[in-house]
Amino acid sequence: MKMLFSIAWRNIWRHPGRSGVLIASIVAGMWAGIMVSSWANGLIDQRVNNVINEELTHAQIHHPEFLTERDPGMYIEQHDEIITFLESDSRVQSYSSRTLLDGMIQSAATTSGARIIGVDKEMERETTTFHHNLTEGEYLGSDLRNPIFIGEDLINKLNVKIGDRIVLTFQNIENEITSGAFTVSGVFRTGQNLYDEQTVYVNRNDLSGLVANRPLYHEIAIMLYDRSQGEQLVSEINENFSSVTAETWIELSPEMRYMTQASGSYMFYIMIVILFALAFGILNTMTMAIFERMRELGMLMAIGMNKLRVFTMIMLESVMLTLTGAAVGIFVGYLTVNYFNKNGLDLTAIGGDSFEIWGYEALVYPYVNPEEYLYVMILVIATALLAAIYPALKALKLVPGEVVRE
Amino acid sequence: MPIITTHNLSKVYNPDTVPVHALRDVNLEFEEGEFTTVRGPSGSGKTTLLNMIGGLDNPTEGHVEIGDISITGMKENKLIEFRLNNIGFVFQAYNLIPVFTAYENVTFIMLLQKRSKQEMKKRADELLSAMGLKDKVDSRPKELSGGEQQRVAVARALASRPKFILADEPTANLDTESAMNLLDLMEKMNREENVTFIFSTHDQRVIDRARRVITMVDGAIHKDEKKASP
Repeated sequence: MKMLFSIAWRNIWRHPGRSGVLIASIVAGMWAGIMVSSWANGLIDQRVNNVINEELTHAQIHHPEFLTERDPGMYIEQHDEIITFLESDSRVQSYSSRTLLDGMIQSAATTSGARIIGVDKEMERETTTFHHNLTEGEYLGSDLRNPIFIGEDLINKLNVKIGDRIVLTFQNIENEITSGAFTVSGVFRTGQNLYDEQTVYVNRNDLSGLVANRPLYHEIAIMLYDRSQGEQLVSEINENFSSVTAETWIELSPEMRYMTQASGSYMFYIMIVILFALAFGILNTMTMAIFERMRELGMLMAIGMNKLRVFTMIMLESVMLTLTGAAVGIFVGYLTVNYFNKNGLDLTAIGGDSFEIWGYEALVYPYVNPEEYLYVMILVIATALLAAIYPALKALKLVPGEVVRE
Repeated sequence: MPIITTHNLSKVYNPDTVPVHALRDVNLEFEEGEFTTVRGPSGSGKTTLLNMIGGLDNPTEGHVEIGDISITGMKENKLIEFRLNNIGFVFQAYNLIPVFTAYENVTFIMLLQKRSKQEMKKRADELLSAMGLKDKVDSRPKELSGGEQQRVAVARALASRPKFILADEPTANLDTESAMNLLDLMEKMNREENVTFIFSTHDQRVIDRARRVITMVDGAIHKDEKKASP
């Protein structure tokens, strides 16, 4: 076998130019594939973290039907017991109880639909990073009566400014329409245009009187020290409190779940496309190499090299040639990904504001999971083997007597 | 007992289109230690005969026996294994492995035979010295002259300790001095180690040195002459 490795490796370098071009194209392909998939991974990770840290949190508790019905009457009845449970649990970093309503927001200029989130300012600040999105004014300023924290796109749509009054209209738990006047205290921008155009934050105490004359909560958002413990915690809550449903962020957000599941497979699909194209290059190079060496291969068979060895030698040539390019490409890709993982990859120049429209940031920290490199190597070897089958079979059909005589 | 026997050997190329009778009913016997030349004009069937004897091609009719084993119809991989251990080949175009050095070209065949490292080294050193290539062991074929390449090819053919060596036009690409050197070496191996050589050639220099000359015309044996030993 050592002899076959030696002869195969040396055969690759008979035509350094030809092999070099193929290796260079494999390097470029591998590098590009790794960069694109690492960028996709980084983008997804950033999006998932943003969503979790800004609002979704690691786990949430609701009335079992609240998320589908969004009925104000479907509030968490066992709120206080659940809070006692959460406060005694060492896995819980913080939590925030929220009142959630769907309604209308009205200014002197226009009216728009709104998702109203009533929060305890301090608890929310401890639980999420949503307050980091403040671009103007104050996050639910304490010196204002009924302050409201409003999305940048919505404030533009309503044509109001800090200090202006707007009216929120929604259903109370008796299913009666009720309204309240609020004063714009601050403006936020999440980068997700749809969210910024529909969402407002108010103090939950300011909503209580309007909704039910008492505090009631539709959602408890929980941040954990370790997000992998979410599943265990929600299962314990569901066991202990039958009137609610606790869910992890993955269960709550199908979009995030899909993105997380897909993140590992981007590399796979991208590489399949790249390697499919490269396979033709490998096939061409190997076929040329075999046709040029017909007499030599015939001679090898004549003097006693059996067909299995000839076949293995050609396969090894293809695999070694491809792996050389792949190893260099993956190494260069690894270095590039590492650099941008530390310094960030700013795509503002390419994408402008378009990333924000879709809820992403232009500055991405790309990464590749170590096992993805392994998958790529397996794909590369499989491609090299598949691409070499045709020329290897051609070689096996040689009749030594005929080619040696030629 | 002859080491090679051909029984009614015939070969027809393109039997369904334009049949070419390369061999016609060839019956020959070769004894161990022969230094034999198969001569004849181009297309007379010399190379075809050597290919049949070497198991590189199959006859249309008849069969070839090496010792008491019939190699005609032998399965491909078994035949390759048989050639590896019993037959040495020297080709007109040298056909060395270009990426290997002279030493590696000689040891390659022994690697295929799974010989020990020490044995391979001893045999390769011995043969390359005998061929006058002691200072060329690390040279690749393209760094060697035609004569040197053909001497490496002979060393390679001898390395596997074959029963006989088939040399197809071994001097055709060589100048007179190289050809004579090569013939001297092969004659020496024949004399000293009793290696059987069968050449196909129309080179008079080879014919003059042979102790048996088989003349072929149109695929048939025209003459089979044995010269008196010198």
